[in-house]
Amino acid sequence: MSFTIETDIAVVGAGPAGLSAALAAANAGARVVVLDEYPEPGGQFYKQLPAEFSVPDRAKLDDDYTKGDELLAAVKKAGVTIANETLVWGAFEDGALAVTRRGEAGSVKAGKIIVASGAYERAIAFPGWDLPGVMTPGGAQTLVKNQQQLPGGRIVLAGSGPFLLPVAKTLLGAGANIAAIFEATRPREWMRHALRLWGHWDRIAEGLRYRRVLADAGLSIRFGRVVVRAEGAETVERVVTMACDAAGNTIAGSEQTESCDTLCVGYGFTPQVQLTRLIGCEHRYDALRGGWVPKYGADMQTSVAGVYVAGEVAGIGGAYAALAEGWVAGLSAARELGHKVRDMALRSAQRERMTRRRFGDLVNTVFAVKPGIFDRIADGTLVCRCEEVTAGEIRAAAAAWGAAAGAVKGVTRCGMGYCQGRICGSLLEELTARTAGCTREDVGGLSVRPPLKPVRVGEIADLASD
Amino acid sequence: MKSDGKIIPGPAVTVHVDGKPLPARRGQTVAAAMLAAGQRVLRHTRNAGKPRGLFCAMGVCFDCVMTIDGKAGVRACLTKVEDGMQVNSPVQFKRFERKS
Repeated sequence: MSFTIETDIAVVGAGPAGLSAALAAANAGARVVVLDEYPEPGGQFYKQLPAEFSVPDRAKLDDDYTKGDELLAAVKKAGVTIANETLVWGAFEDGALAVTRRGEAGSVKAGKIIVASGAYERAIAFPGWDLPGVMTPGGAQTLVKNQQQLPGGRIVLAGSGPFLLPVAKTLLGAGANIAAIFEATRPREWMRHALRLWGHWDRIAEGLRYRRVLADAGLSIRFGRVVVRAEGAETVERVVTMACDAAGNTIAGSEQTESCDTLCVGYGFTPQVQLTRLIGCEHRYDALRGGWVPKYGADMQTSVAGVYVAGEVAGIGGAYAALAEGWVAGLSAARELGHKVRDMALRSAQRERMTRRRFGDLVNTVFAVKPGIFDRIADGTLVCRCEEVTAGEIRAAAAAWGAAAGAVKGVTRCGMGYCQGRICGSLLEELTARTAGCTREDVGGLSVRPPLKPVRVGEIADLASD
Repeated sequence: MKSDGKIIPGPAVTVHVDGKPLPARRGQTVAAAMLAAGQRVLRHTRNAGKPRGLFCAMGVCFDCVMTIDGKAGVRACLTKVEDGMQVNSPVQFKRFERKS
């Protein structure tokens, strides 16, 4: 059994970029279907509650829940079809996408494809990062926002980047006990970039609001400290941090231990480019914007005609850049299909996109991962969580087989497990580049093959039998 | 977690984790229901036998895979509970060791 969806524009991902693109294209007159893996639309930023939960009075919810309402309502009103629980796992040569929905195989045929697959958090290995209770900050926030479930009783937040702030706000709002927040950078390291904040007043105001939330909770961020290990028997019981310099080198004698049952560590985000790579779009390595990103033009079209990108998949830039970029992609795709789109509408969306991207780039610059954080990954530290491969095995393979991501993967099995390299892939590439003394472009990316996420054999067979 | 009645989880259901009954609410994911009961270890790895729990909680890392109603490799972080659901810690085969 299988199903087919035919539409003008298929949007992959129902987060800010995807919803914005869908709305822009539908308003211009195109038929749009949004394909999204999750049970509820909204992506990570506009995370919705499960449909099974009830809300007696939506007006009483805080903006964590309601900030996506307006956009979602507009998207539905515009006649966009949102296909939830629909995972895109393959792309065929004729432009069709292979999907699976609740165990049923399907194919999607669309005139244009807008990939808005978002990003996931960048995790950097340290001893104990595989202990239960150690998780990503976004994971902890999702548990609260979507599931109304605190991740633990005594929580430590760590890593780097402004995302730790909304996570702290969400957790505190749910009554969490946050023991400490460790940020790898220091305010004095930001100062030379301060002038670039000019004009981004709404984002500055947001930052000040977070500062107030933390102050009200009696919390102050402990700057210039990195997690060096997590310890515990079956689950995390304590975290050890050290002070580090501007390059991320730890300072001897600065170890401190904090007890906790939950440790959330994240160093920003990585674009989720598996689908654009599978489709065959050209990519380039952009450390500032989080890793490998598809190349695209002013209309957000990639090197493959008819395939557009928008939002985090095009490079990390934040939700507001994603909204603007989705609008550009949606309008451009609709225009290509022959729908009337005013030049002014497109140009104003492009200007908004540039403004938001400038702020995103500033944030990315200030909170770039300090190189010492990669260099201090010891040989005995686990890098591939699925296949249980250590940093030492990766370095040895890189030294013996040369600076090619695929070779190191083949020799070590790093990236061959269930996560398919989503978590460990950029670590493998970074460690390989550092071992061989070459660039990430030289190392290349891990190859991407269908299915993009594990799919049952029967679901693939069903597609062929109809 | 403090509850102020603004959000009400779905009706009560019972799932069975490795044969033991676990109370849950409709709309909850398997991982969240287990976490609510203090169960943070979802499985052990096939080679080193190390404990694993929720990591990304958004379906990317596959660290939370369990065997659910007989299907192996199902993500506990995205799978919503059903009454009578059978959840098992996966039994995995060890990796084939290379002969050096």
